Amino acid sequence: MDIVWYVALSAVIFSIGAGGLLARRSPLVMLLCLELMLNASNLALIAFARMWANVDGQIFALVVMVVAACEVVVGLGIIVALYRNRVAIDIDELDSLRDPTEGAISD
Amino acid sequence: MNSALTLLILLPLIGATIAALAPVKQVGQIAAVMTLVQIGFLVPILIDFQVGVELQAYVDEIWIEELGIHYALGIDGLNIFMVALTVFAWAIATFWAATKEWEQPRMFYAMLALAEAGTIGAFVAQDLILFILFFDLLLIPFYFLIGMWGEGDRRRATGTFMIYTLAGSLLMLVGAVAYGVISSYQNQTEISFLLSDLAAAPVGGSTQGWIFAGFALALLIKMPIPPLHGWMPITYRSTPLPVLVVLSAVVAKLGAYGFLRVVLPLMPDAANNFQHVLLVLAIIAIIYGSVMAFSQDEARMVVGYSSVAQIGFVLLGIFVLDAKGAEGALLQMLNHGIVVVGLMLVIGFLAARSNSERLSEMGGLARSAPIFAVMFLIVALATLAMPGSANFVGELYIIFGALSDQFVYGAIATIGVPLAAVYMIRMFQKSMHNREHAEGRSRELNATEFGLLLPAVLAVLALAVYPQFVVERIEPNAEFTVEAYQPSTAVAGGGGAAVSKEADE
Amino acid sequence: MTELLTSAELFGNVAPLLAHAADFAEGARPEHSATYGWLLLFTPLVGAIVIGLTWKKVSDRAAGLIGTAAIFLAFGAALACFAQLMGMDPEERHILAGYTYAQAFGVDFRFDIYIDQLSVFMALVVTGVSAMIHLYSVAYMKSDAGYHRFFSYLNFFVFSMLLLVLAGNLALLVVGWAFVGAASYLLISYWYRRETATAAGIKAFVINVIGDVGIVVAAYLLWTELGTLTIPSMLANAEDAFTVAPSPEYTAAALLLLVGAFAKSAQVPLHTWLPDAMEGPTPVSALIHAATMVTAGVYLICRMHPFIEISETATLTAAFLGTATLLIAATTALVQTDLKRIIAYSTMSQIGYMIAGAAAAAYSASLFHLMTHAFFKALLFMSAGSVIAAMASNQDVRRMGGFRKAMPFTYVVFTIGALTLAGFPFFSGFFSKDEIISYTLHRGGAFTVIAAGMYIGAILTAIYSMRAVFLVFHGEPCDEAKQLEGGELAHGSPVNPATGALEDTDVGFPGPDHQIAEREGEMRTAMSVLAFLAVVAGAVQIPGVTHLIESWLEPVFEDSRYAHDIPSIATQWIGLGVGAAIALTGIAIAYWTYVANRGVSERLATRFGRLHELLSNAWYFDRIYDAMIVRPASAIASFCNNVVERFVVQGIVEGATGAAKSGASRIRSWQSGLARVYALSVIGGTTIIAIYFLVLAK
Repeated sequence: MDIVWYVALSAVIFSIGAGGLLARRSPLVMLLCLELMLNASNLALIAFARMWANVDGQIFALVVMVVAACEVVVGLGIIVALYRNRVAIDIDELDSLRDPTEGAISD
Repeated sequence: MNSALTLLILLPLIGATIAALAPVKQVGQIAAVMTLVQIGFLVPILIDFQVGVELQAYVDEIWIEELGIHYALGIDGLNIFMVALTVFAWAIATFWAATKEWEQPRMFYAMLALAEAGTIGAFVAQDLILFILFFDLLLIPFYFLIGMWGEGDRRRATGTFMIYTLAGSLLMLVGAVAYGVISSYQNQTEISFLLSDLAAAPVGGSTQGWIFAGFALALLIKMPIPPLHGWMPITYRSTPLPVLVVLSAVVAKLGAYGFLRVVLPLMPDAANNFQHVLLVLAIIAIIYGSVMAFSQDEARMVVGYSSVAQIGFVLLGIFVLDAKGAEGALLQMLNHGIVVVGLMLVIGFLAARSNSERLSEMGGLARSAPIFAVMFLIVALATLAMPGSANFVGELYIIFGALSDQFVYGAIATIGVPLAAVYMIRMFQKSMHNREHAEGRSRELNATEFGLLLPAVLAVLALAVYPQFVVERIEPNAEFTVEAYQPSTAVAGGGGAAVSKEADE
Repeated sequence: MTELLTSAELFGNVAPLLAHAADFAEGARPEHSATYGWLLLFTPLVGAIVIGLTWKKVSDRAAGLIGTAAIFLAFGAALACFAQLMGMDPEERHILAGYTYAQAFGVDFRFDIYIDQLSVFMALVVTGVSAMIHLYSVAYMKSDAGYHRFFSYLNFFVFSMLLLVLAGNLALLVVGWAFVGAASYLLISYWYRRETATAAGIKAFVINVIGDVGIVVAAYLLWTELGTLTIPSMLANAEDAFTVAPSPEYTAAALLLLVGAFAKSAQVPLHTWLPDAMEGPTPVSALIHAATMVTAGVYLICRMHPFIEISETATLTAAFLGTATLLIAATTALVQTDLKRIIAYSTMSQIGYMIAGAAAAAYSASLFHLMTHAFFKALLFMSAGSVIAAMASNQDVRRMGGFRKAMPFTYVVFTIGALTLAGFPFFSGFFSKDEIISYTLHRGGAFTVIAAGMYIGAILTAIYSMRAVFLVFHGEPCDEAKQLEGGELAHGSPVNPATGALEDTDVGFPGPDHQIAEREGEMRTAMSVLAFLAVVAGAVQIPGVTHLIESWLEPVFEDSRYAHDIPSIATQWIGLGVGAAIALTGIAIAYWTYVANRGVSERLATRFGRLHELLSNAWYFDRIYDAMIVRPASAIASFCNNVVERFVVQGIVEGATGAAKSGASRIRSWQSGLARVYALSVIGGTTIIAIYFLVLAK
């Protein structure tokens, strides 16, 4: 089959994931969308690996899976910690890393 | 590879590391003793110094080949005495700091040593990017020194100092990189930032002008020259005195040195074109600095503004583009550094006796302190360039050079001389003479204070008796630096009259 | 570490350094060594250092004797130099020796001393009079708490003055010039707890620095024309300069040298520091502000005479300003009420004579008057010191009177001094002053006016000098005089008349004890020597009979245009006659006004009130300078502080740092902490870049 179908599918899944990431407010759902994006890129990698008959793409896809797993562990751990500390699980409320108005060296 | 200079740069850091290993109470003393090691290391270099234009103790290694950046260090007449002044001033500053209490002393002495390493590196660097690297590197320890251990409004002072100096340095870096790139492009040579390579392959025309402007801005801010001196008042007020010693005595001279080492050899056309602008700035510095100096109440600010005036004289000497002027400027850089060390110590001692650094709250402190009075007087008279001091020799050469080349500027600059007398004698009188202030307690120098002040006074006296020692060592370099501008530096009237002089040299 | 030296190499490099440092060259001709000259120069310095270093270990009297001995030794060395020169061929009487001080690019700044007729003459006068004043001070300053400091400074001053007169290099002369100024500052503000004294000190110092600058620029101009700063070489090259028409450089150099001379010698317009300098102790006034330092300007003109003579502008300026000073000072002295100020203005006036005489190329006459003036002026100050001590430090002549009986010795020597000053026939001042006047008159042209001014000045001099005598010693004895007649010296708690503040006798300023000549042998010895010299010293230059000074100095001034253009003996004796008549007339007028008809002076003062005001305020020079210089300077300073610093400079600082801060804060506001904004930025930015490359690929 033409590679275009696989890349198009990957692009659609990626866009759905990206849209969900931007639109949803729950960190848990955002993590799911991140997974979608990562898997979409995996799909593209494997499709190209098959096209070029080169195993590099498959190896890289495995690496991406490992990274995704690690990142999900950390992300879920943060969400559970937030829940346990009764912090609202709403991404728009979690902005304590913003720039504070009192400066360090200026004025 | 000749590693003498590399070792000289690293010695302060080694000293600070050794000091850091000591128990908290002894850190200062160990650091101070390590500065003596530096002096010991410097002395053979000084004695072995050959008079001439050649760079000595030379190192030249390719560092970043693709960018043409070399690790090149060397000493010649331009920087040998600056390096000596650096080591001297830092030694005294460290000893003085060791007599005081600091929070987190290990960090303090480490920062002080890093600043020294950066300064020495800047003075001996022979590669343009290496020079700028050291020039900016030494700002980092000052950020900490002023920000953490400063007095008064130190956060604002640090912020102002850093941003202001870095703004200029940014322009200088851009200019430097541009120079290297354009020079290799215009002259079809491989890119190199070695100063000697760049001098042999200069950039042409109007580009030189822009690059000159960038460099000039950065260096003028460093010196500082009005109207770019705005960082000076607040920074001088907030810096602890031992740190202010080195900031005022040495780091300020880096600006003037930059002109002599980098700007004049590499940008001769621009220097000629902008000569009058710089001369006007020098005159403004002399007069404005002097006027401000005699109207200040805080002793630090008197010294700060007097430094502005004195560095104005140095700038004048450089930009009259005459060998005599350059000779005088180099000599004054050394003299003024020594004198500022003495003055800062004096201010510290005065403040200890009258619990204030304001002249209006001092008075009559010479009462039980004749030795202090004499030493202060020697330093004060040297600062105002009283004939008989080496400062007078420097000023004489600057004035002679100015009158040779730009008579009007030289004539106007002489106004600065009586003004200097006014502000220094005023400072001396307000603190030492007249009636004692109610809060003050006059007392003689104790052994520590005497030991700290003595080296500066001895240096002033030694140079006053035999300035030829310095004069002959910097002569070829002064000549070489302005050679591109003058056809010859032969004396008018044919090299001295052929009259029976009944003495030889 | 191969770069570090072996010890042999180290020594090899150090040894030439030391040899170079020890390169104190002796005279090029091996038989003429400059040893006596070096001894002469450095003995006082050694004295100053020794007294300074031993200040706690040595008694007061010992310090005074060390100081005095040092100067006597210096005087001995000066005599030795004199003898050495006498043993040389008259045309070749000069020795130059020294070391390279700071030489580069043709600027030969060397530490050279030049021993010739002129410098030995000056050295003899300086060390001789200084020796007497040191002796006087041993007794006079006895009750002062800063005794050691005083003698150390006084010795240092003599060293500086000798450096000035012995300098063989123009730049070194400037060094001596400045050292003398510094010594003067230290001694004027000697009682440093008095605000009037410190204010006077800084004023003197700054005016002196202005003079320094003048000489430095003059040195530059002469250096460009002559190629050297070594004085004998400059003088030798001056012959070429004479044949050339005076260029602007020479005129400018001459005028600038005059600026220096006028600042040092307190001539109009740079004279305002001298009356204030009376704040210093009386021996200081005697030594520095009468006998030696203020005469340095005259020395400078004589030493550099070819370069002043070459410019007619300069000589006329010097002559007119000298005469103006002469008259302004003499008129001011007529109405002064402070005894020391009378004598100070008298000094200013007499130096006007010397300067005008030097401008008229009457060099040896001016130097002769310099010598006699040193004798009688020092004597006058010493006697004044004695009187002031008797008055418990009060210096107001209106409160004095009738000390004739109480202080006979002081009366006699003071009167001798005053008569010499007035030009009483056959005293030394008579011969010296009238020699200047007759030479000036002989010069002709504009100098006739100058000579007329000098004669007017002479009569005024006679009047004010005898006024002082009559006011202080004649008439009804004042309280202090009566007390002294009874054998008791007056005491008072001293108050500074200018500020009303109580004097601090703990740290300086004479305490309850005062020393007067009648009771102190040292003072009497010194004053007697000077009185004797004041009377007989005229014998060295009696017209037609003796001309010791003139012939001694002849080779020095041989290259002057007017070297052989001297008035005849007859003319000189006529001049002497006129001078005698004027002096006696003046003395008579003074007698009539202040002894015979007391009260005339008060009536004159009220009648000519405005004139009296003008003279009492010294022609308002201080006020003019205050308005012209001091006020504007303060105004500029406060303008700089309040306007320029605040708005312009800090504006730039705030501008630069403000721009950096606001730019930074704008960028910082992007860091909102909202993860979705970050995500949008990433995705959006990546999309844009991807589209860019896709388009580019096309």
